[in-house]
Formats: sequence, C-alpha cells, structure tokens
Amino acid sequence: MTDLPKRTLDRLPLRWVLMDKIEAFASLVWPAKCHRTTGWLFLTPALLLVGILLIGLGYMLEYSLHELDLSSYRLKDAYTLGNYRYLLEQPVYLQVLLRTLLAASVVTLATLTLAFPYAYVMVRTSSSAWRKFLLVSLFLPFFIGQVVRAYGWLIILGKEGIINSALMSLGLPAMDLIYNYGAVVFGLVQYMLPFAVLLIVPAITAIGEDIELAAESLGANWLRAFWHVVLPMARPGLVGAGIVVFTLTMTDFAMPEILGGGTTDFIASAIYDSFFQLSNSGLGAALSIVLVTLGSILVAIVFRITGAGTLSIRQ
Amino acid sequence: MKNRQVVKNVQRRTVMKAGAAAAGALAFPSLLRANDKPSELIVRAWGGAWGDALKAGVADPFTAATGIKVRLDFTEDNEIKPKIWSAVDQGRIPPIHVNWDTSTNATISALRGVTVDLSDLSNLDGLLPLARPAGLEGYPLVNTYAYVYVCAYRPEAFPDGAPTSWKTMLDPKYKGRIALYDDGIGFNPIAVIAGGGTFEDIPDNMEPGYEFYRQLKANEPLLGEDSDFTTWFQNGEIDLACTISVNARAARQNGIDVQWTVPEEGCKVDTDGLWIPKGLPENEEYWAKEFVNFALSREAQEKWCSLLGLPPVFPGIAPPEDLVGDPSYPTEPEDFARLVSVPSPILVENQPKWFARFNEIFQG
Repeated sequence: MTDLPKRTLDRLPLRWVLMDKIEAFASLVWPAKCHRTTGWLFLTPALLLVGILLIGLGYMLEYSLHELDLSSYRLKDAYTLGNYRYLLEQPVYLQVLLRTLLAASVVTLATLTLAFPYAYVMVRTSSSAWRKFLLVSLFLPFFIGQVVRAYGWLIILGKEGIINSALMSLGLPAMDLIYNYGAVVFGLVQYMLPFAVLLIVPAITAIGEDIELAAESLGANWLRAFWHVVLPMARPGLVGAGIVVFTLTMTDFAMPEILGGGTTDFIASAIYDSFFQLSNSGLGAALSIVLVTLGSILVAIVFRITGAGTLSIRQ
Repeated sequence: MKNRQVVKNVQRRTVMKAGAAAAGALAFPSLLRANDKPSELIVRAWGGAWGDALKAGVADPFTAATGIKVRLDFTEDNEIKPKIWSAVDQGRIPPIHVNWDTSTNATISALRGVTVDLSDLSNLDGLLPLARPAGLEGYPLVNTYAYVYVCAYRPEAFPDGAPTSWKTMLDPKYKGRIALYDDGIGFNPIAVIAGGGTFEDIPDNMEPGYEFYRQLKANEPLLGEDSDFTTWFQNGEIDLACTISVNARAARQNGIDVQWTVPEEGCKVDTDGLWIPKGLPENEEYWAKEFVNFALSREAQEKWCSLLGLPPVFPGIAPPEDLVGDPSYPTEPEDFARLVSVPSPILVENQPKWFARFNEIFQG
C-alpha cells in the first residue's frame, strides 16, 4: 500500500486509509507471529471470569472444611469433615434438598410444556402483529424483576387479593392460594417461561418450514410430523432451556422466600440462613459445595444422556 | 513604606500562626484528626417505624447539633454483620460507622473482637443497669432500650377478648392464620413454657418447646420478619402473631386494627444496642462515638424511645400516653418479672442450636 504513488494514495477513500493505519498499528502491537494465539486473546476475559469463579469455589471448599467456634464466632483452624457430617445427620437438609429438586423438576417440565408451543407459534405465525403481541407479552413481565413479580402475585393471590375477592363476591369461600409449595412452583414457572421461550425460539427457527411440509407431503399428518420431525430437531433448544430452567430454579431464593410463607425453603434459603442468620460460613460453604456438586452432576448426566452435541457443540 | 510595614507585620503574624498550628499538629496529631468532621456518618438501621424513630429522635438532632449528616443504611442486620467482619479482618474501612443491632448479634460481634470499646462515653454514667452488656468486659456495645415480643392479635378474630395463653395458637380455628419470626427468635423460651416446661429448663431442656412447635406446625403458621407481620395484618392474612410491640403499635398507628397482650406464660423481653466497628479512620470513629453518646442523652432517648414505644435505658423518662400501664412497656422490676429474659451470652451460645431445631421442625 505504502509503495503506491502519492497521487494514488490521495485518491483512495479516507476510510481505506484509516483502516490501513489501524492495520499497521495492529501489526505493530500484535505481530503476525502472535496470530496463532489470537483465539486465546479473545478467550482471556472469559477465562479470567471462570478462573475467578474457580478461586471462589476453592475458598468455599476450604471454608467448608472448618467448623464454627461458638466462643469467638470464627472458624476453627483444624480441618474436618464435620460440616458435611452435620448435613448428613440433620434430616431437614435432605428434606429441603429433595423439595428443591422436586420443584426444579416440576418447574422445568411445566415450563418446557408451556414454552414450546409459545415459541413454535411465535416463529411459525405468518401474522407479524400476532408475533409482536407474543413478543411483547413475553418480554413485558421479563423486564419486571423477580421480587416485584412475586409481590404482584401476593396482591393477586392473597386472602384479600383479586381472585379471592372475586370468589367471595360470588359467595364462595376464600382459598389459600399463597404461602404454600404450589404458589412457589407457580411463581417460578411464570418467572422461567421467558428464559425457556428465548432458548427454544432459535432451535425452532433453524428447522426449515419446508422440512415439515416434506414430512406432510410424504403422508405424515401434522401431529406425526411434529412428533417425529419438529421435536427431535428442536432438541438442542429444549435441552438448553431445560438445563437453564432447572439450574435457575434449583438455586432460586426470592420466590420461596416471598411466596412460600417461610415454611417451604429451598436450599438457597438454607445457605443464606447458614451464612447470615447462624453466622456459620463453614456450614454455608458446605451446603454451597453440595449444591454446586449436585447441579454439576445432574447437568453432566443430561449431557451423557443427550450428548453434548445436542447443544450444537462439536464433539 | 507604611503599607510595606503592615504587609511585613501581617506576614510575620501569619507565619507565626502557621508555625504554631504546625507545632500543635505535630504535638497532638490525633486531636487534630479526631476533630476533623466527616461529611456524613452511616448508621445501619431497621426500616419503617424503626428507621423513622431513629431519624427523628437521634439522627436529625445530632445533625442539627454537629452539622454532620447522618445516612441510615437499611441493610438487614444479619447481612451487614459478615460485611463488617470481613472488612475488619481484611483491614478495610467498614461499610458503616454505627450499627444499630440486636444485643445478641452485637454480642456475637463483640466476641469476634470487631467492636470498639465505648467505656469512655460520658453519657454512660447514670444509665439503668440494662444499658450494660451482659457477660462482656467493658462496653463493646451499649444497650439502648428494652423491647417485648408481644402476642399481637386482630380483635375482630377474638370477640371474647384478648387471648390469655400462647396455647391459643394451637386452636385449629386459627389454622394458617398465625405467625412467628422465621428463626424462632422471640418465641423459643416462650415455647418451652407454653409446652409445659419452666424457665429453669432453659437452655438445657428445650424439649417442651420443640414439642410445642411440633403441635404448632399442624396449625400451619406463617414464618416471616418484621415487615411481613405488618403486611399480613394489613392484608387480613393472620389473626395472631408473636412480634415486637413496635411493629404492632406501628400497624395500629397506620389504621390497622391490631391489639397486643402479654399472655399468662409471659413474653420474651430483650434489648437492642449500638456499637461501632473497628477499623474506622480516627476522626470518623471519634464522631461515631459522639453519635452513640448523643443517642444515650436524655433528649435523644426521650424522643427516640417514645416514638418506638419502648422503655429507654435513661432513667426517669415517662412512657408515651398510649403505653402507660401497658405490660409491653416494662419500667419497674415487677414489670420485668412478668416477662421472660434470657441473658445474651446464653442466647449467643444456644441460638444456633435452637434455630437448627426450629428449622428441622418447620422445614422438615
């Protein structure tokens, strides 16, 4: 470029000249011999974040191996598995864990069941107005935080809420619609729905409409085409959405706290209580490690069953 | 010439003044830094009626007297605790200057060694013995008033009069319409007595209390925190709750039909206090101490505690009109005798165990 006569250079668009300068500067800062590591350069921020997370987990693991000294409210120096032993000895932690896992399973199933048709209609509809309506309906509650939404449900489902007021105006008795397990699961499904739809939509978009038409032209009715063609091809989206919804539910804190009435705690509440109410960071760390391990194992099982390739990851 | 002479004199005077100031600063550096007023003091507080009372009774008058703004930080008391602890352990400046805390939590922080000694506060002289922290050397915290976990109820649900026993909570009529704190705080000792035990059983034999909780669980109580009780009463979700009298009084003052009583088993009485975290810059610690000292003055105690409706540690202050003779406002030894008081050291040592059992019963 610089070998070109000055007159030619003068005639080049300014943008080109600018790009040449930037390229020359980039070659100076990042010479050609370093280009093999360019990929790693882009990965560095993400690797740093993961590294910080791992360091944090390392600290958690270390804390979990120390018991609390009640005379000074500091962790004892001695290494022990006492916190883990305590978790095993207290049936309440197993019950809270099972309650959390059950809720995560039910919420995942319910959310995927509701999210898939929603996403399908949103992608396949020919009406742009209908698509916009579905998008707005999806995103409007998405922009409202979880806590505000949970309080919204308190207003709607409470003893003197809209539904119970309507029931009583019809002469029917008021119902206990909040402060129970059902209310927590309901609140979580409503909260998770946008996440699931957003993850399923790209998977359905990737399935050409002509493939469905081809199946139908070969004699499959719409239901068979849906079952044998659309669902299997949408598996990456379904698995991804399932993992996200399951893990988010398993670690959720606000919904059980607000809609559960204090007696339907999830494992995140038990972690919070250990750290903040009991001031026992060792026990809280042990519970956190259990939660992280369990979550990782479950995701690994899903990958094992469905294959990592199901998320469009090359194996 | 004359002008030059004046300039020369002024210069000499200015130089002498500056020299004296520098010498003073070198001789008494801590004094100089201590009097350097911070732009603001951050005081952790509870929200709602609690924060309003602190602002009107202590923070605003303190600002008027010193010119230092006071910012209330409404971080939950249990959440600020580890933040302060880690700041002190890591040699960082703590996030707040003064912590308004339960005496039990404050005692835990004192045991951890993160609190500043307040023994040199001038207003400590003449306070009621209640002000002194139990089981601790000196004043790593100072108690500021007493409060009672009363039996609050909706009069509409009790047409025959106030409940006379905590056992009313077991009545199936009130299923799903009763509430406790979500960690059992304020009710653990009462549960022992209501469950057939005695005060002497605490803390070695809490089984009667756990048995009471097991029976209570069948009645599906709601478990929450201060703010929840007001909301639940307001929305007609509950008929009966064990809550601090301040919350019940605030609800009543806001037009919610709530009354309270001290049932035959008694009610738990406790104290709150103020403490200052270690690691503050010298001048900020000085003014934080001035704030605590001011909170113990007659003027502040009178206004702050009457707004809260709680008996202060400053002697001789008359109760608010609506609380004269109220059993939730103990002033005399015989008033306290009707209530159940568990010393902070026992609470500190046993509360984690009680909480674990409480959790086991209600979350299991």
